[in-house]
Amino acid sequence: MGTTNPAERTDESAPSDPLVDREAVRERLDRVHDPELDRSIVDLEYVDSIEIDGGDVTVGFVLPTAWCSPAFAWMMATGIHDEVSALSGVDSVRVELTDHMHGEEITRGVNEGLSFESVFEDADDGVEAVRRKLDEKARFARQYEAVQALQEAGLDPEQIATLTVTDVDLGFGPDAAAVTLRNGTLSVTVPREPLSEYVEKARATGLLTGADDRLFADREGEPLDADPESFEAVYRDARLAVSNIEGQATICESLHESRNGVSLD
Amino acid sequence: MCYHDTQAMYTHNGEDVFVIDGHIHLWDATEENIIHEGGEQFIQCFYDYHAAFTPEEEQWDMDTYRQYGKERMVRDLFGDGYVDMGIFQPTYLTDFYDEGFNTTDQNARLAEEYPERFVLNGSFDPRDGDEGIEHLERLKDEYDIQGVKLYTAEWRGDSKGWRLDSEESFRFLEKCAELGIENIHAHKGPTIRPLNRDAFDVADVDDAATSFPDLNFIVEHVGYPRLDDFCHIAAQETNVYGGLAVAAPFAQNRPRKFGNMMGEMLFWVGEDNLLFGSDYALWEPDWLIPAVMNAEMTQDQRDEFGVELTPEIKKKFMGENAARLYDIDIEEKKAQFQDDEISREFGLGDRYEEATAD
Repeated sequence: MGTTNPAERTDESAPSDPLVDREAVRERLDRVHDPELDRSIVDLEYVDSIEIDGGDVTVGFVLPTAWCSPAFAWMMATGIHDEVSALSGVDSVRVELTDHMHGEEITRGVNEGLSFESVFEDADDGVEAVRRKLDEKARFARQYEAVQALQEAGLDPEQIATLTVTDVDLGFGPDAAAVTLRNGTLSVTVPREPLSEYVEKARATGLLTGADDRLFADREGEPLDADPESFEAVYRDARLAVSNIEGQATICESLHESRNGVSLD
Repeated sequence: MCYHDTQAMYTHNGEDVFVIDGHIHLWDATEENIIHEGGEQFIQCFYDYHAAFTPEEEQWDMDTYRQYGKERMVRDLFGDGYVDMGIFQPTYLTDFYDEGFNTTDQNARLAEEYPERFVLNGSFDPRDGDEGIEHLERLKDEYDIQGVKLYTAEWRGDSKGWRLDSEESFRFLEKCAELGIENIHAHKGPTIRPLNRDAFDVADVDDAATSFPDLNFIVEHVGYPRLDDFCHIAAQETNVYGGLAVAAPFAQNRPRKFGNMMGEMLFWVGEDNLLFGSDYALWEPDWLIPAVMNAEMTQDQRDEFGVELTPEIKKKFMGENAARLYDIDIEEKKAQFQDDEISREFGLGDRYEEATAD
């Protein structure tokens, strides 16, 4: 990760003591994800330019193809706008989507605070419905990584299937989470990241709301069965959710590399 | 390891592989043929895909890509490309292109020169109503088509696509069954103006496949960006197949991802239900076929998926599965190709002789 985007223009003429820190802007942008690939737009090298003029920030971004779903592009554009706006010292944010077949409409719509439905009157799906579907897929794909981490730590299907939110202590250590088993008589440490990433998405999709909620669920959001066979079936299904995202990411990365000269390794 | 001293019949570890390229086009995207800006956008989009997955030294220039013509196509497929037979998949796009982009009638101009080497497919759009039925009947009558290529996400006027399981579509599928057009290729992948995410939905394939058990439904590009939904359907329906166009070039620049994708395909869809396609001229078989034939799953991947990507399995999706769907007798074809026009033109006859003598 993290080769420098050759296309990125750093604004050398910016005031020597800008009110807004470029790194802070990048940090906010890192929170914006490509909703289909479930990955940060900074990691994916979509951010083409960041220009800071006092408290005015302009962010340019470019997508792997001019035909990327307008709904996905819209989510990223509004995400950029909202994240950077939340930064202290920022007075105004302008977002520019270039080299996209709906670049002008999306740029105008986001900067003028319009709704997706008013910009794309002929779109059938509301942008929130699309986001929810993608979030649910991302939740399920992240479950695969989380369950794999738990299995590697020695937990069996029954233990994993019956875990609740309160059994997991994500604050155990900087890189470690602790999982409590057997009514609190046993504690196992596991890598923190796959679990915290999962919990974040599971909360965002509304799967986890109360303290007693089972941590994991099948594709449809139904609690896992503890018997090994159905556990294995859901595990394979979650792997497929990962493969779908990875395959689509392969297509997008290759297009991005070829069209925009951006290489991710 | 592969040997190909002469360019006919791909051989892998000394064994012949009869290649039926299940997805080829002969298109015309010349500026004179473009009548709508969508036509230019469409070919530019295709070119992006071409460049993204083609080794740099094999990339074409845009002018060649717009219209490569019959001669070049024959050489690229049969002369240099190891292909033994090719299946045309038409793409009409008559709103964008004056004469159409890649229609059955256009394809027929080449296919009829070498009928033993090509399979012609037709197309239908249920929104055409009675006229569409007549079109389908004419294609059957004129070219004896055994398959159709469908674009459910194609926009037309106020309509942003159609569903395979709609009443109008069923009328056409019934007509296909009646005429003996058994292979229904559904394109669910990238499209122009994908405003509606449901244009990619593959659920309609499920209902259609259940309702028409005698038809075969081949989901092109293995359902991307809905690989997961496609796999669920293919796992349940024996008459649902996956076309490997778009996925195959992963073998060239993302071999590990290719292994993973094949693991999923073999686990969910099965070795008898996959069809290779180069998507020519998106990609060329001369480098794509060796890339796929030489691809391997890692030991980790074999353990994870519990499947193997053996030479026998590759032979199935490279040709044997398509032969079954299109009633092609491979041994008969080998004998015929010892001395057909293509073999004479490119000096390929010997290879088919060896192949049948074995």
